[in-house]
Amino acid sequence: MDFILDGLLKGLSLIFGGDAEVYAIVRLSLFVSVFSTALSVAIGVPLGSIVAIKEFPFKKIVISVVNTGMGLPPVVVGLMAMLFLSRNGPLGLLGWLYTPTGMVLAQVIIATPVIAGLSLSAMQSLDRKFYLQMLTLGAGQWQALWVCLKEIKLSILAAVIAGFGSVISEVGAVMIVGGNIRHQTRVLTTAIVMETHMGNFDNAIALGLILLSLTFLINIALTYIQQQKARTE
Amino acid sequence: MIKLKDLDFRLSTGFALNIDSLSIGVGEVFAIIGPNGAGKTTLLNILALLQDAKPANFEIGGRSALDRSGSTALRRSMSYLFSRPYLINDTVYNNIALPLMFRGEKDSGQVAEMLEVFKIAYLRDRSANQLSQGERHRVSLSRAFVTRPRLVLLDEPFSSLDARVKEAIISDLRRITRAARTTVVLVTQDQEEALALADVLAVIKEGRLLQTGRPETIFSRPASKEVADFVGVETMLGGEVTAASDNLCSVRVGDNTLAVVSACEAGDSVLLCVRPEAVAVSRSAEANSMRNHFKGTITSVEPWRLEYRLSIDCGFNLIAAVTKRSLDDMGLKPGDGIFASFKATAAHLIKR
Repeated sequence: MDFILDGLLKGLSLIFGGDAEVYAIVRLSLFVSVFSTALSVAIGVPLGSIVAIKEFPFKKIVISVVNTGMGLPPVVVGLMAMLFLSRNGPLGLLGWLYTPTGMVLAQVIIATPVIAGLSLSAMQSLDRKFYLQMLTLGAGQWQALWVCLKEIKLSILAAVIAGFGSVISEVGAVMIVGGNIRHQTRVLTTAIVMETHMGNFDNAIALGLILLSLTFLINIALTYIQQQKARTE
Repeated sequence: MIKLKDLDFRLSTGFALNIDSLSIGVGEVFAIIGPNGAGKTTLLNILALLQDAKPANFEIGGRSALDRSGSTALRRSMSYLFSRPYLINDTVYNNIALPLMFRGEKDSGQVAEMLEVFKIAYLRDRSANQLSQGERHRVSLSRAFVTRPRLVLLDEPFSSLDARVKEAIISDLRRITRAARTTVVLVTQDQEEALALADVLAVIKEGRLLQTGRPETIFSRPASKEVADFVGVETMLGGEVTAASDNLCSVRVGDNTLAVVSACEAGDSVLLCVRPEAVAVSRSAEANSMRNHFKGTITSVEPWRLEYRLSIDCGFNLIAAVTKRSLDDMGLKPGDGIFASFKATAAHLIKR
């Protein structure tokens, strides 16, 4: 039991002790997660909303594909991304393998379907006639879509929270695509796996604590914004 | 204002809307009535460019509506009110100003004007979520008129309102549309609402326009049994024209002969239609100008709208409408003998 207590104590000392390497890992974790969530929101919210609102052939199949994407195994995403980004792969020329950019790409592939699927579901809960009413009031398609999004902003924020949660805690894809290279692509999750494998449980617990705290703080912030909006409505 | 020709539109459900020709004039209040599932809302959606229909010709305000790239611009010349008012989660002011925002225009007093016109100035800063159903409808109407549209499409806009609120809103709507010469296309199942507002009435059933014309013509001179059924003609009797001269036809119905003013000719097989309110009843045989008199027996008395509906067996079944007061004064009840009469001009013949 002592090693758990030791781990907690070491964790606190790492958090407050100003360890430069730990801070670099935290910074990279935040950068990769926030940037990939932002990109996923930029792609997933319009995609989900448009699929929900527009009528087109094979719509049900497209919705099934999006929903399937919500449960994509991160390890498989990582593997596919690595194969595509590897030197002989179709995207090898980009040179993104074992870089934070490659990690962002993998996480965007994981988070976009989650955000798109939840946005789609939220938009479908809004009566389609609401969108049509906006069109008949003179809105262009994007104006109408924007007004609809504002109507379901609480659900969209929930989608953002879910998307962020799926990437900040993800390990398989970033491990494969990033390679867990020290000072380059090591993030909190990959560092925890590595320390655990090496038997450095105190370090693993410390990093785990940091990850939990970060996730908690960011979710508190997003939930606060969401609930503030809910109260004003 | 609207010209539509050779529309053949099919929904994914298999429902088909076939309209040979539809023309709605500027400043006209055009009401479309018909039973549920007749295609009224589908037609309105096509007029609002919300359905991808491909008629042979389609013009709104003199501009072709066939080219979908100009849909937004054309929609900005009209407003469409759904049966449920879809308001955004914001203040009443921002709801009414929404169409101006979509057009990139500033509010130069139009919102305040609409708040006054629809008598909701006191709601200006209230959240749309805090409004009653009647208030939501008024906000929705204000929003529809804030851009002074030349065409307003109304899809059963008052169906969820109580009679008092509905009457007040219809009165405001009539005043505003008449003043601005706004063209209005109204879809409704409520015939009284259609009569209160419409200059021209169209009856639609199973995706086909059955009859278009002035409301009084459609109600008194339905073109087919289906229209007669829908507009409340209760007595429809199959018969044959035995003689016709000077537009006065003698129609044999069973053992009875009835007189009807009509352009039918002798030998025509017809359906004789009489509206309940055209039939007068009395306890005694009175001499009057009506050409059709029958002695009969009341078979049933039922409440009907704000009046009572009598079924009278005169050798054929004749339906009459009487007020509550007449019913009480004459003490009418099933089994009573009674005299029924109606004018030759009050009946209408449909050729079969």
